[in-house]
Amino acid sequence: MPRHLLSLPVLLFLTLALIYPLGRMLVLGIGEGWGLTLANPYYWGRLAWSLAYGLGSSLLVIALALPLAYAFRYRFPGRDLLLSLATVPFVLPTIVVALGFLALVGPRGVLGVNLYGTPWILFWASAFYNLGLVLRMLVALLGALESPLAAARTLGASPLRAYFRVGVPLLVPALLAGGGLTFLYSFTSFGLPLILGGPRYATLEVEVYGLLAYHLAFPEATALILLQLAVSALVTLLYLNAQRRFSLSLSAAPQPKPLSPASAWRLAFGVWLFFLAMYAPLLALLARALSTPEALASAWTSEDFTPAWLAIWNTLRFAGLSLLVVLPVGFLYAYAVWRGARGLDLVGLLPLLVSPVAVGLGYLLAYPSLGGSLVILIGAYALLSYPLLARALLPSFRALPGTVLEAARVLGASPWRRLWRVEWPLLRPAFLSGTALALAAVVGEFGATLVLRRPEWATLSVAIYERLGRAGAGPFAEALGLAGLLALLAGGLFLLLDRGRRGLG
Amino acid sequence: MFGWNAQRKTLNARGSAWVGWLLLGLCLLPTAYTPQPASAQQTTLTVLTHESFSLDKKLIAQFEKESGIRLRFLKAGDAGETLNRAILTKAAPVADVLYGFDNSMLSKALAAGILEPYRSPQLANLRSEFVLDQTYRAFPVDYGYVALNYDKAYFKGKPLPQAFTDLARPEFAKLLVVENPATSSPGLAFLLASIAAFGEEGYLGFWEDLRKNGVRVEKGWSEAYNVAFSKNGGDRPLVVSYATSPAAELFYADKKPSEPPTGNLLLPKSSFLQIEFVGILKGNKHPAAARKFVDWLLSKPVQENIPTQMWVYPTRKDAALPEVFKWAEVPKEPAKLSPQQIARDAERWIREWTQVVLQGQTANSVKAKR
Repeated sequence: MPRHLLSLPVLLFLTLALIYPLGRMLVLGIGEGWGLTLANPYYWGRLAWSLAYGLGSSLLVIALALPLAYAFRYRFPGRDLLLSLATVPFVLPTIVVALGFLALVGPRGVLGVNLYGTPWILFWASAFYNLGLVLRMLVALLGALESPLAAARTLGASPLRAYFRVGVPLLVPALLAGGGLTFLYSFTSFGLPLILGGPRYATLEVEVYGLLAYHLAFPEATALILLQLAVSALVTLLYLNAQRRFSLSLSAAPQPKPLSPASAWRLAFGVWLFFLAMYAPLLALLARALSTPEALASAWTSEDFTPAWLAIWNTLRFAGLSLLVVLPVGFLYAYAVWRGARGLDLVGLLPLLVSPVAVGLGYLLAYPSLGGSLVILIGAYALLSYPLLARALLPSFRALPGTVLEAARVLGASPWRRLWRVEWPLLRPAFLSGTALALAAVVGEFGATLVLRRPEWATLSVAIYERLGRAGAGPFAEALGLAGLLALLAGGLFLLLDRGRRGLG
Repeated sequence: MFGWNAQRKTLNARGSAWVGWLLLGLCLLPTAYTPQPASAQQTTLTVLTHESFSLDKKLIAQFEKESGIRLRFLKAGDAGETLNRAILTKAAPVADVLYGFDNSMLSKALAAGILEPYRSPQLANLRSEFVLDQTYRAFPVDYGYVALNYDKAYFKGKPLPQAFTDLARPEFAKLLVVENPATSSPGLAFLLASIAAFGEEGYLGFWEDLRKNGVRVEKGWSEAYNVAFSKNGGDRPLVVSYATSPAAELFYADKKPSEPPTGNLLLPKSSFLQIEFVGILKGNKHPAAARKFVDWLLSKPVQENIPTQMWVYPTRKDAALPEVFKWAEVPKEPAKLSPQQIARDAERWIREWTQVVLQGQTANSVKAKR
C-alpha cells in the first residue's frame, strides 16, 4: 500500500482532534505580551525545573529498566503479575497515588522518613508511574536478545561482556522509546509534583494551566505553550534520531527463557523485592482500601454518589469505545512510519508534546455544539493514548526480519496475506502490550479536565473525585475503596492481555 | 525459526482465543450503550457547572419527566475555571445555563456580558440580602461560609488559636494548610477574608508571617482536606474549608458519633460568605427550557435538597434545613468586601499573594512595586 494513503487517516484524525482545536486556542494568543513573558526569569526557572524533572525521570527509569530487562528475559514465578502491577499506576488518579506515597514517607508516614517536599519523592513517583511503560516496551523485544547473546557467549565473551556489548545495544531502541515517553510525561506533568512537592515544584505546564484556566491570559499562555512545545519537540527529535540509528533487524519471536527451578526462585526473590519496594505506595493504598471493606460495600450501592457497579460498567464501555478508535489509528500510524513516512514520526507524537489544557480549551472553541457529546470525549482519549500503542509497536515493526518478508514475497504471498500470516504474528506481542498501555492511559484519563457528562455517565475515576470532593470519613473511605477496585480491575485486565501475549509464544 | 511445532501451535491458538475474546468483548461493550433517542420534541439543556455540583438523581429524573427537558451537565473544574470557560466560549456558547459562579466573581461575570436577563417569579421567594444583581441576570441559589476547621483529636488538651493573627505565632507553626487562591475558590475566599481583616496595607505582612510560620499550600480543596489535613492522615490539623464541613463529617460518619471529629474555628473575620449564582447564557439554544431550569433550581424541593447534596445553605426563605445542620455554625463576623472591589483588585491580590507566599518575596518589596 502506498504510504501516503496509509498516513492519510492518521493525518485526518490528528488535524481534527489536535491541530485545528489547538490552532483555535493559539490564535487567541497573538498579541502583545510574548516578549514580556519570555523575559520573566520566573518562567525560565519553571522551564529549567521541568527539563530537569523530565530528563532526570527518564534517566532514572532507564537505569532501573536495564537490569530488569536482564531479569525479565527469564521465566520466573510471578513474572506476568509484576508486569501488570507495574502498569497499574498509570490508571490511578494523582491524588490517590499521593495518598499512598504520603502514607509511607509523608510527614506522618509509617516509615518514619519524611520525604514530602523533597525531589526524591518526586523522582520516585515519576519512576512509579513510568517504569511500567518502559518495561512493557522492553519485554516486547526481549526474545530478540536471545540468539545474539548466545552467539556472543559461544564466541567466548563473558556474561557481563556479552550483556554490555551485545545485549544493551540491542535494547537501546526500546529503552529510548520508553525513556522518550517518560521524558514527555514528566516534562508536561501537572498534578503530581505539585501535590508531593508543594508549589515550589510547579512545572511549566502548571503555569500554562493557571494562565489559561484562571486568568484567560492568552498571549502569556501562548508564549509558554510554544516555548514548551519547542523544547519538547527538540528533545523528541533527538530521541527519534537516536532510535532510528540504533534500530536493528532481529529475527526471533520473543519468548522468555526457562530457568532451573532454583535459579528461577532466586531471580524471582530479587525482582519481587525490588518491586515490593518500588510499588510500596500502591500496596499501602490497597491495604488502606481493604482495611475498610464495609466502605466498598456501601460504595457499591451508594445513594449519595455514583454507585460503584455503574462506575465500573461505564469505565469498561467507554474504554472499549476508545479502543475502537485507538487500535486502528495506532496500528496505521506505526505501519506508515515503518513503511517510510518519516514526517509522520514527529507529527504523530504531537499529542504528547503539547499542553493538554490548551487542547482541552481548544475543543470548546472548535466544536461548541459537540460540547457535551461522547464524540469529543472519545476523540480526546484516543488522541492521548494512540501514541503509546504506536510507540510500543514501532520497535517491533523495525525488528521485523527483512529476509523473511522478502521470502514470503518471492513465494508469491499477496501484501495482505503477508501482513496476516507473517508480519502480524511477529507483531502480536508488541501489539497486545501496547494495547494494554493505551487501555491504561484511557482508563486513567477519564478524570481529565474536559469531562462532559450526564450524572449516569460517571466512570470510576469520576466516582472517586466525587467522593473526595465531600468532607467526611465515609466518602473518604469509599474513595479509597474505589481506587483499590480500580487498581485491581486494571491489573486484572493487563494480566489477561499478558496471558494472551505469553500464550502466543 | 518459524517452524512452529504442534505444541506451540496449540499454545498459540489458546492465546489468541483468550485475547481475541477479551478485545472483542471490550470493543463490543459500547454497543450495549444505547443513547436514548432524542425525539424531535425533546430538548436537551446543557448546564455548565463546577465539579462540586450535585443534586438527588430522583429530583433530576422527575424534572426531566415532567418538563420533557433532558439535562446534560458539563463540569469544568472549580467555580473560577467554569466561569472562564463560559467567557472564553462567549461567541459560540457550549451551554445554555451557567451555575456556580460566586460573589467573588459576580462582577466579572456581569461585566463579561455573557448572561441574559430573566425576571424569575421565584426571586420574590429568595432572601433579599443575597440578591446582589439588580439587572435580573444572576440569581442566588445557595450560600455558605469558607471557614477554618480544626482536628479535634489533635487539639485535645491543647489551646486553640484565639485570633486571626495567632495563626502566625510560633506555637501554631506548621499547623495550617490553605488552598492556592489562584486555583481554588475557598483559597481565594480565605485570601479575601485576610484582606478584609488586615486591609491593603497589612494583609501581605500577615501572609509573610504565615509563610515564615510554615503554612502549607495545596492546589485545591480536595488536596488540602484529603491529603494534608491531619484528620485524613496528613500533618496539618488546621485547614481552610467550609463552616458546614463538620456537619458533613457527622452525616457521612460510619458509626454515628455524638459529635463530629472536626470543629469550626470561627476566629473573628477569618471566614468569608460565598453566594453561588445561576444565570442564563446569552446565545443559548433553548431559552424557555433554560428559564424553567432556573425556576426549578430555586423551587422548594430542590432548595431543600441542596444542603445535604452540596453542603451549603438554600437562599429560599421557606426552605427547611436538615437536622444535621446544627453542627454547621454561622460565623458571627464574616469578612465583607464588595463584589465591585473584588472585581477590580482580585487579579492584583492573587499576584501579590503569589509573590509573597510562593516566590518568597518580602511584603514590603511587593508593596513597593505597586
